[in-house]
Amino acid sequence: MRTVIELLIRYRLFASMCAACIVSLWMVSSPPYLQARTARLLTISIFYPVQITVDQVTRAKNIYAENEQLTIDIAILNAQVAQLKEQEAENVRLRDMLGFDQSTPLPLVPAQVVARDPSPIFKSVIISVGTNKGILPFMPVVTRQGVVGKVVQVMPDLSLVQLIRDPLNHVSIMARRSRTISILETENGIEFFTHLRVHEDVLPGDTVITTGLGGIYPRGFPVGIIGKVSFERDPLFKRATIKLNLDIEHLEELFVIKRPPQWAAFTKHLDSLKQKP
Amino acid sequence: MNTTFLKWFGLFLLCFVLQTTMVPLIDIFGVHPDLPMVALFFLGYRTGPMPALWAGFFLGLAGDLYSPSILGQNALSKTMAGFFAGIFNVRMMRVDMIVQMVLLLLTFFVNDAVYLAVQLIKSGGSGGIVWHCLILTLPRALYSMLFALIPYFKNHFFGSSTPRL
Repeated sequence: MRTVIELLIRYRLFASMCAACIVSLWMVSSPPYLQARTARLLTISIFYPVQITVDQVTRAKNIYAENEQLTIDIAILNAQVAQLKEQEAENVRLRDMLGFDQSTPLPLVPAQVVARDPSPIFKSVIISVGTNKGILPFMPVVTRQGVVGKVVQVMPDLSLVQLIRDPLNHVSIMARRSRTISILETENGIEFFTHLRVHEDVLPGDTVITTGLGGIYPRGFPVGIIGKVSFERDPLFKRATIKLNLDIEHLEELFVIKRPPQWAAFTKHLDSLKQKP
Repeated sequence: MNTTFLKWFGLFLLCFVLQTTMVPLIDIFGVHPDLPMVALFFLGYRTGPMPALWAGFFLGLAGDLYSPSILGQNALSKTMAGFFAGIFNVRMMRVDMIVQMVLLLLTFFVNDAVYLAVQLIKSGGSGGIVWHCLILTLPRALYSMLFALIPYFKNHFFGSSTPRL
């Protein structure tokens, strides 16, 4: 055996030649059915792995393309779902507003917030109605939750609304239970409070509504509820914090009460007096 | 070694793919070049008979499997051709371009002679192998020679004086 191996190594060229020729001649001389079987066997063992690899690469390529398409489809569907959710939420809000519109005897003009003061604690918003809808300065702006503010500037299709969180915007309020009247105040646009005389009957949880005394906001609109009542250094007054009903940060749809201020006629009368010599 | 193997394997693969795809488009009166044979000749010339005969065997076997006629026919003929090309390898003798082209021509004749011999034996017919070689092999070998000259011209104009693949 060892001698044979040594001979094979020594004459490896001729051994190789003989081996290749013998295999070739065996294949040539074998009957057709055996040739077919051998060819099939060789094809499977040589080409099948290549075919599998190519097939896997093709499949991977298809999966990649399919994945890209699915990613696009998911993005489109997510956008559609978000849009539908938004429409659903808007539908709920509009139904709510419609109920409010029908339950209020005042003439209401629906509007949408189109822009707002860019500061973090915005004090004004721009709404989508203006003089074309009969909006005038000092008309009150409300939602179902309560008072929002008042119109301060008007344009044909837009109006600027000063919110009640503006420290310069004072609203006359009263506690519904005890009818105690005071002024809604704020210093930073976040915390609201009012100063009351020390003997006034105000308790935490009391509902606060508008009084209608300012001439702008109609009487009886909800504003918030009394929070903490505390005494101040001045022994004559006490301070009551007020938690607003209104979610100012998420204002979207609101109403302008199409009613000029109660003192508008008086102002006109004064103007006419001024024009007289 | 691996790099050399991969280089030759890649060359054979390229030639095989070109032979089955592009070469039929450039035939002249039905005669088309045999690129794998040219590659086999250069392999034999550069590396010797041992790699060339096995390369010829597997190249022929691939041809047999690709276009089945008589299984082993191509394997045998290309084994012989590879062996023949390898005998005159560059380690044994250095020959000029013209002699190399003559050797390429002879390699084609060896290949086709064995191929036709097997064909005749299997079919039981009788025919002149020499006549067939003249009619079929010579034009094919001459056409293939044009492609075999490409490395020489490339090296003549762009590279070293020794033709390399």
